[in-house]
Amino acid sequence: MNHLIHIELDRLEGSLMRVLGLVERRGFHIDAAELYDLGEKRGLSLTVRPRDPSRNTDTLGLQIDRLYGITRLDADPRAGGKAAAPKAKSKHEIGA
Amino acid sequence: MSNQPTGAQLVISTLKALGVETLFGYPGGAIMPIYDALAGSGLQHILVRHEQGAAFAADAYARATGRVGVCMATSGPGATNLITGIANAYMDSIPLVCITGQVGTHLMGTDGFQEVDILGITLPIVKHSWLVRDPAEIPSILAEAFAIAKEGRAGPVLVDIPKDVASTRVATSHAATFPQWTPPAPDIAAIRAAEKLIEQAKKPLFYIGGGVEMADASQELRDLVARTGIPLVSTLKGLGTLPTTHELALGMLGMHGTRAANIAVQDSDLLIAIGARFDDRATGKLNAFAPNARIIHFDIDPAEINKLRRADVAVLGDFKIALSALNPKVGPIQKWVEKCKADKWEHRFRYNAPGKGIYAPGLLKTLSEKAGDKFMVACDVGQHQMWVAQHCEFPNNRAHLTSGGSGAMGYGLPAGLGAKLGCPDKHVVTVSGDGSFMMNIQEMATLNRYRIPLKIVLLDNSSLGLVRQWQQLFYEENYSEIDLSDNPDFVVVAKAFNLDAFRITHRHEVDAALDRLLAAEGPTLLHVVIDPRENVWPLVPPGASNADMMEERWDEPLDSY
Repeated sequence: MNHLIHIELDRLEGSLMRVLGLVERRGFHIDAAELYDLGEKRGLSLTVRPRDPSRNTDTLGLQIDRLYGITRLDADPRAGGKAAAPKAKSKHEIGA
Repeated sequence: MSNQPTGAQLVISTLKALGVETLFGYPGGAIMPIYDALAGSGLQHILVRHEQGAAFAADAYARATGRVGVCMATSGPGATNLITGIANAYMDSIPLVCITGQVGTHLMGTDGFQEVDILGITLPIVKHSWLVRDPAEIPSILAEAFAIAKEGRAGPVLVDIPKDVASTRVATSHAATFPQWTPPAPDIAAIRAAEKLIEQAKKPLFYIGGGVEMADASQELRDLVARTGIPLVSTLKGLGTLPTTHELALGMLGMHGTRAANIAVQDSDLLIAIGARFDDRATGKLNAFAPNARIIHFDIDPAEINKLRRADVAVLGDFKIALSALNPKVGPIQKWVEKCKADKWEHRFRYNAPGKGIYAPGLLKTLSEKAGDKFMVACDVGQHQMWVAQHCEFPNNRAHLTSGGSGAMGYGLPAGLGAKLGCPDKHVVTVSGDGSFMMNIQEMATLNRYRIPLKIVLLDNSSLGLVRQWQQLFYEENYSEIDLSDNPDFVVVAKAFNLDAFRITHRHEVDAALDRLLAAEGPTLLHVVIDPRENVWPLVPPGASNADMMEERWDEPLDSY
């Protein structure tokens, strides 16, 4: 079963690799990915699919929430999605 | 112009401002500006002989002291040599700041000499990482790095600094401050729900992981155990959170856990997991783990809740607050407690091994008894690691330093030196095996250089004992590449590094040898020759339930060693 995950990325060194790598390492296929500009930040929408039934998208979401400079959203940010969970922010952005 | 600090000087001044006193590292080309600034700075830099040693030593320094460990290496191979240590810290949630030199920014991406994308390589094994492009940001990035390493579920971070960034002078820099993180207060409703489950339980059991120690909540846990009278099992990393000699401490659970601990888990109707993550070495076959138990899960990391076992009640946040606030009216559990104690007595370890050879479990038990309250062990990985966990007594927390999640051979010697530097008043003993010891044997040079009075117990069975044991039990005795009988003479090698060293081969020598080792003033190695056929018992076979333990059988009656 596919799941759609919306993410907001600070413009930090390695942030895209960080989140894509995490999703794959935690046992999910990435079937589609869309990266888009959100001004100071970038938006990323991923369609993911678990590699086996033991993989839980709720847990994946919480693991994404642990990343710094990466915010999981409850909906597409272009449609007004907001942070899915409160989290720390990184201060060191590398410019647009 | 020359009064303006370089990026490298900002690194050193910021480390000092953040309270760093000791760091571990090894210089090289790309990090030379930082080593140039280090000279005469007053920081105690420990020059190890391999970067992996720096990461392990900093890791153990952090575990032993509760502070953030710091290590440094140059670009390319220097940085990649840190990787095993970074992964080790990540798996065990140890706060570590790793500073790496990088080739100049104009060379990055050109396959320059000693260039490697260490930020990319380490992405899966750090909490966060930075590639510094503006030297003015060095103070604020380092402050943020220390804060992130320590906050919440601790872990390693990496700061990669290109050589030109370190060499550039800075007119003004960002302040070395970052908001102090405060653990979130736990939800009181969740604590009340946990109390309700505990009050309903007939067979409650605490399952304690390393998170309690990491949260500095050991005293709160001890008070909670005293308030409730509920028995306790521990993970490898949780040993010592409650004194291992406590009557309610049933020992370690899992693959090489005690029978009493595993029986209790399987029989319990409520498992109260605190700072534990349901690791496969602890649970055995997951769907057969604690089959009758409801679960209360205390953790600082939301991602651990329901990851492997669904929690009936989850309590997130500060353990010190949560454990202090938990005050259930425990029901009539005396029969359950008595059964746990009876199982502990019935399945206690025995030390009357046949023969006159040295029985390693007995030696380790005696070692911890002789070292007493100041005992701190830095373990390597293998049979000896499990024997330490099973047989040593740990009256205190932060006393059992072991590579738990990663299982990294080579940890013990550099970890021992890092721990001894952090805690000079402790009896720090590295317990190693002949396989593990050879992996970072060069760090004896570091012991000698700084005359660090670390004591080493090297249990030598001339083989990779745990692999041999598995080949014996699960691979039809097809012994493949486990023979190490061509080891060097470890006493001669240690003496060549200017350590005191001596060897024992018979059981009657153990007492005097341990006395000599613990009384020695300088770094000393005790080489202990043991029977290569000895196995670690009990053992839950891989993929089996913790209820299915294999045990050693002796004919002799139970007796003391």
